[in-house]
Amino acid sequence: MKKILSLAITAALTLSLAACGNSSESVSNSAKNSSDTGNNSAKTTETRTLKLAALETAYGADVWKEVTAAFEKANPGVKVETTIDKNIEDVIGPGMKSGDFPDVIHLATGQPKGLTETFVKDNNLTDLTDVLSMTVPGESVTVKDKLIPGFVDTTITNPYNDGKTYLMPMFYSPTGLFYNAGLFEQKGWEVPTTWDEMWALGDKAKAEGLALFAYPTSGYFDSFFYALLNEVGGAEFFTNATHYAEGVWQSAPATQVFDLISKLATYTEKTVPANANKDNFAKNQQLILDNKALFMPNGTWVVGEMSKAPRAEGFKWGFTALPAVQEGGDRYSYTFFEQIWVPAKAENADLAKQFIAYLYSDEAAAIFAKVGAIQPIKDMSSKLDGDNKLFYSIYDNGAKAAMGAFATTDPVEGVSISDSVFASIDSLITGAKTQQEWVEGITKASDALRAALK
Amino acid sequence: MDTNKGRGRFIFFCLAPAVLLFIIFLIVPTIDVFRMSLYKWGGYTDEKTFVGFQNFSKLFQSDKFYQTFQNSVLLIVVVTIVTFALALLFASMLTREKLKGQNFLRVVFYIPNILSVVVISAIFSAIFDPNSGLLNSLLNLFRGFQAEPVLWLGDQKIVIFSLAGAMIWQAIGYYMVMYMASMANIPESLYESAGLEGAGRMTQFFQITIPLIWTNIRTTLTFFIISTINMSFLFVMTMTSGGPDGATEVFLSYMYKEAYTNSSYGYGMAIGVIVFLFSFALAGILNAVTKREHLEF
Repeated sequence: MKKILSLAITAALTLSLAACGNSSESVSNSAKNSSDTGNNSAKTTETRTLKLAALETAYGADVWKEVTAAFEKANPGVKVETTIDKNIEDVIGPGMKSGDFPDVIHLATGQPKGLTETFVKDNNLTDLTDVLSMTVPGESVTVKDKLIPGFVDTTITNPYNDGKTYLMPMFYSPTGLFYNAGLFEQKGWEVPTTWDEMWALGDKAKAEGLALFAYPTSGYFDSFFYALLNEVGGAEFFTNATHYAEGVWQSAPATQVFDLISKLATYTEKTVPANANKDNFAKNQQLILDNKALFMPNGTWVVGEMSKAPRAEGFKWGFTALPAVQEGGDRYSYTFFEQIWVPAKAENADLAKQFIAYLYSDEAAAIFAKVGAIQPIKDMSSKLDGDNKLFYSIYDNGAKAAMGAFATTDPVEGVSISDSVFASIDSLITGAKTQQEWVEGITKASDALRAALK
Repeated sequence: MDTNKGRGRFIFFCLAPAVLLFIIFLIVPTIDVFRMSLYKWGGYTDEKTFVGFQNFSKLFQSDKFYQTFQNSVLLIVVVTIVTFALALLFASMLTREKLKGQNFLRVVFYIPNILSVVVISAIFSAIFDPNSGLLNSLLNLFRGFQAEPVLWLGDQKIVIFSLAGAMIWQAIGYYMVMYMASMANIPESLYESAGLEGAGRMTQFFQITIPLIWTNIRTTLTFFIISTINMSFLFVMTMTSGGPDGATEVFLSYMYKEAYTNSSYGYGMAIGVIVFLFSFALAGILNAVTKREHLEF
């Protein structure tokens, strides 16, 4: 009897194991098959598959399909498998956890799930420096010559401070202050060029029941803050601050930045923090369209985002760089850009690099530009029209471009510089934190991150 | 003897698939959470560094974690007490009293439970809106229309209670139906004889209804803890994103932020372990203190 029982148990176990084993085996089998066929055909007909994963943004998913179709046409024997989703992290995440990586990923830093940052922090990217010297397919210039200078010298594209580029810049957008140009015409107000003029305008607006300032969420202060750092202290101070230099937050320029933002907090529409989250931020943007607040920090995407929103009569989008800290001082507009990158374990890294080089071709750029996605390619801004022409010409009109972000560190548990710097601005407005507490928080986070710098 | 063994074998075969699935999908992942909490890991590499209990010691030194702990406990306490009291009240009113439109009310109370959290938070975001929201418009009737708006989701002192309000509204129907089901089982004769002996409604409620649905109440207490921890994450994600400035950060939203946004997967799992132990312990304590002699009718 014992025998039968033990037999039964073994049978049950093998059965169940076989059940599990089968499925995984079949998966690996099919994977093997597909890679086999891939290899075979690579030898015979040279068919290769490139796996592209991209975040579906306001520009839509179709534009990627169009570009990949054009790439396939230009490269016979290459098939591009696209995964485009609004929650791309959730779609490709589980696969990557088990070792199945897309060959190329278009996903910017600054997303709530921080997937790109995680790859950067874990040194999990393929070096793309050689893409810069590749010739753009079908053209005679190299990628580097085609790009607007500066875009591949930032802490975002070269995260490890070693002169190597790991993330390539894609769609960019100047950021700055958006306002209702129609309202300024009606009232006869001038757009302020210095912060002193800004405060004077704020008092004038207050007398008429308008707030000077509103912001969608505190996260939108990133571009604002980076531009301001550049205005008060120049590029060197910006680098020091974003690399958490010791004592940098107690220096005179930093204090000036904190004073400016604290003062701005007193001029901010009081209801803003109540809607400053990812579900209600449009209500804060609506304040500008309804003439309840004058300025908001934003990027060019806001025009599309609010295109269906009701607006005050005579509304016209206006866009300006940050006011200068003193008469005749530099004015900056932070350049936000998305990134495309190749995971370290991508199977077809070479093909991925070819694809990225192709993305900077005139053909691809024209496809992207149709939906308003503008790449940092020289002379691209002269081909624009409408609102975009106004926005992208900001740098031709005297504003300087600021790029980069807080430097990459190894992950430090429980410490987030963006929470300390940006999220706390909500508290400045509600009065839950004083300027001193805010600066102390930033200093503490900065000290913790300095030790973990890459 | 033989039939006994045959029976055992039969039971074994019947249970094996379920037990196996249970182990694979519940026990193994839980153990994995515990294991991962001892590593420093970003989530997508093969490099995992064993750090022992470092994640936990960092956790206990973190002000942010204490803030999320405080928020979560506050929500558990407030939501449980208020939902519990109101659900009991409505349940006994609907079963014991002769109200017009009883069935209609039952449906109305239950509706929030079938709505998705996203819909509920959209409704409440509209209610809490500082300028055009229902709540402020109502208040302005008494405070005058020039009054400063109350920032239900913007004032750090109020926002957690606004969140609790939405959660209570959502949960009442479910618990009410649970209580109603067991109240309906109490024999009418008990109330009749109590009434004859001169017991008023309140006495009947506390002396008959409550003791006789006690087992049900104990079960729901455990539900309260688990569902508040889980639901608070959904409400926070859809209503405030943890803001303003972390004022509504709860256990799971903090875990999510650390594990993903801050690329500290191991640290996130350490938070998961604490939440697991905490909810287990709390449920255990509640179960122990509410232990009563089992009454039957």
